[in-house]
Amino acid sequence: MTLLKVEDLHTHFISRDLDNQICIAKALNGVSFSLEAGRVLGIVGETGAGKSLTAQSIVGLLRPPAKIVAGSVRFEGRELTDMPDAELNRIRGNNIAMVVQNPRTSLDPLTRVGDQLVRLHQIHSGGPKTASHKRALEMMEAVGLPDPESRAKSWPHELSGGMAQRVLLAMALMNSPKLLIADEPTTGLDVTVQAQILDLLRSLVARFDMATLIITHDLGVVAHFCNDIAVMFGGSIVETGSVRDVFAAPAHPYTRNLIAATPERFQMGRAKALGGQPPDLYNLPSGCVLQSRCAYATELCQTTVRNAEVAEGHFALCHYAGRLEEQPAVKINA
Amino acid sequence: MTQPVLKIRNLSKRFPVGGGRVVHAVNCVDLSIMPGETLGMVGESGSGKSTLGRVILRLLEPSEGSIEFDGQDITQLPKGQIRRLRRDMQMVFQDPWSALNPRMRIRDLIAEPIKLHVDLSRSERDDRTEDLARRVNLGSTYLNRYPANLSGGQLQRACIARAIATDPKLIVLDEPTSSLDLSVRAGILELLAEIREETKAAMLFISHDLGTVRMISDRIAVLYLGEVVEQGQTEALFETPAHPYTQALLSAHLPADPAFKVSRLVLEGEVPSPIALPTGCKFHTRCPVAIARCAREVPQAIQVPSGQQASCLRIPNGGNIIQRKEDV
Ligand SMILES: Nc1ncnc2c1ncn2[C@@H]1O[C@H](COP(=O)(O)OP(=O)(O)OP(=O)(O)O)[C@@H](O)[C@H]1O
Ligand SMILES: Nc1ncnc2c1ncn2[C@@H]1O[C@H](COP(=O)(O)OP(=O)(O)OP(=O)(O)O)[C@@H](O)[C@H]1O
Ligand code: SF4
Ligand code: SF4
Ligand SMILES: [Mg+2]
Ligand SMILES: [Mg+2]
Repeated sequence: MTLLKVEDLHTHFISRDLDNQICIAKALNGVSFSLEAGRVLGIVGETGAGKSLTAQSIVGLLRPPAKIVAGSVRFEGRELTDMPDAELNRIRGNNIAMVVQNPRTSLDPLTRVGDQLVRLHQIHSGGPKTASHKRALEMMEAVGLPDPESRAKSWPHELSGGMAQRVLLAMALMNSPKLLIADEPTTGLDVTVQAQILDLLRSLVARFDMATLIITHDLGVVAHFCNDIAVMFGGSIVETGSVRDVFAAPAHPYTRNLIAATPERFQMGRAKALGGQPPDLYNLPSGCVLQSRCAYATELCQTTVRNAEVAEGHFALCHYAGRLEEQPAVKINA
Repeated sequence: MTQPVLKIRNLSKRFPVGGGRVVHAVNCVDLSIMPGETLGMVGESGSGKSTLGRVILRLLEPSEGSIEFDGQDITQLPKGQIRRLRRDMQMVFQDPWSALNPRMRIRDLIAEPIKLHVDLSRSERDDRTEDLARRVNLGSTYLNRYPANLSGGQLQRACIARAIATDPKLIVLDEPTSSLDLSVRAGILELLAEIREETKAAMLFISHDLGTVRMISDRIAVLYLGEVVEQGQTEALFETPAHPYTQALLSAHLPADPAFKVSRLVLEGEVPSPIALPTGCKFHTRCPVAIARCAREVPQAIQVPSGQQASCLRIPNGGNIIQRKEDV
């Protein structure tokens, strides 16, 4: 059974404007992917693409006015989107762990880090407190915090960025989750510390056979630490596949530009072709979300796009997926 | 021979932080930048990059050492005269959102440095403002907007327009692309390269992103705990890094290409506090090839065969090269 299966997920921000008219920001528009135990999936995309929102929708941590309006999230075959809060809480504590985007804000500043770990274990696993304490020290050790005994007594503000990130990972591991979601786990860390955290993540995935979802905007992290990649744009996953296939032969125009903009491949003189305004979520065009900034766009692109399999397990959400080169000459953004 | 735009000698900056403790943010740095040259400065968080950039522009007072700008020693120059120098030395910051006054229109923000430093009539100034906006590819429709209504990339273009408004000889760019998306970043780098070509301005490009620095810099200086541990031509430094820290730093960089084999040298521990600097070679607490001497002796910069200058005691006998185990 697939551990996590997300299907056609739509999350909207629904609010009322000054004239009391309903406004809808369509932030996720049919996100689908699945993840097996022991696999690492990297979600990439520009700021505002909906990466964090995808994670929040999966674990049921959306705050109003955000709302899942359609779609399904199945974890070990069980539907999470309509599950009662208490039950969802239990799954979230025991089986799914999330490390959020900003480590500083997710630690309780008034509780020593060891106590935070113990508290988390007590809530979800119960048992004697000494066992929780022992587990806390083990997990701190597992994430490479030197001298866990004394580190456990630290206050959050005494931790460096790298250490805070390790504590969060230790927290996430406390209840042996089957699925770990890490939102920008290395952003803002120094490269040498980043390397330590990524190595750690990799060994933890292997050791605990976790499924891992890494959200990042760093294609280097995806290239070297993930098995699979999902590229997001305008609230849709526009391309998915194995890291090797997607980097070797990106099929979606957006992915092509993203990869072309990396320092390794970027060629001076090409930048103008690469960027552009993000789509207006309140007013998405019909058809492909990329159409206003896609060099390949034609009138066909104003019609609904379906995911096309360009190679086994490699999908792209584009009318011309797999045949961009032979696409007709009538371009609308020429 | 042309003389450097900027030449700093033995520059140090210390911050007293109470309790008799002192942060040694920048320690005995020697650097120079030639006209039209871009020097990339890399180093981890807290290594003193921003402090050094600010001291160079005299936005902070140096604790020790000298700064020569365009042939003139400006280390002791009084504040009033520094202000006049600002037209020749400009800065661009990491965070374009907080660098611009939110209550001024983009047009006035770009015009501000011209108003301060260049004697132009109002209409000439307006023309120049529009020229500058065009120069940084900011459409004229943006000129009447306020910063809140521009994207990060557009704001950074406005900041760059301000920085080049007075044709400066030196521009210090402190992480100018770090807060921007990849595709936007590419556009800003391209713009900077064009500006350098046209104006022959020297640039000090501060970044912790090695890929970006490699693209834009002629030469690179690597900072560790406020010291330049290695500097040299970009390609030489990337191809044959001599200092163990440079080797580790470069190896930790992950190129966005799965086909690229990386063999990483993962350093133990984290950067020590600049309040209690390690003795001897400041890298000895984390250096995989440290020997007993390293804790006592301060290494001097020496030239290596590939041309860079590096400060490591083990260079003479080749012990500075860290052996790698293939992984990933
Ligand atoms: N209250 C809101 N009303 C309308 N739209 C919102 C609201 N909050 C967030 N959004 C939009 O939802 C989209 C998804 O945001 P999300 O945080 O998932 O982006 P992200 O891909 O994680 O970006 P980043 O890389 O910056 O973290 C964004 O475009 C954002 O502007
Ligand atoms: N005004 C100050 N008072 C005390 N310490 C300071 C001050 N400004 C900077 N520092 C310290 O000096 C050291 C160098 O800081 P600096 O900001 O120059 O580093 P950096 O290399 O720019 O780091 P980053 O990559 O995080 O921007 C740090 O340890 C910092 O905490
Ligand atoms: S569907 Fe059309 S607009 Fe969308 S990515 Fe493909 S070619 Fe571009
Ligand atoms: S001097 Fe010693 S500690 Fe410093 S970099 Fe060289 S080998 Fe390492
Ligand atoms: Mg996010
Ligand atoms: Mg800085």
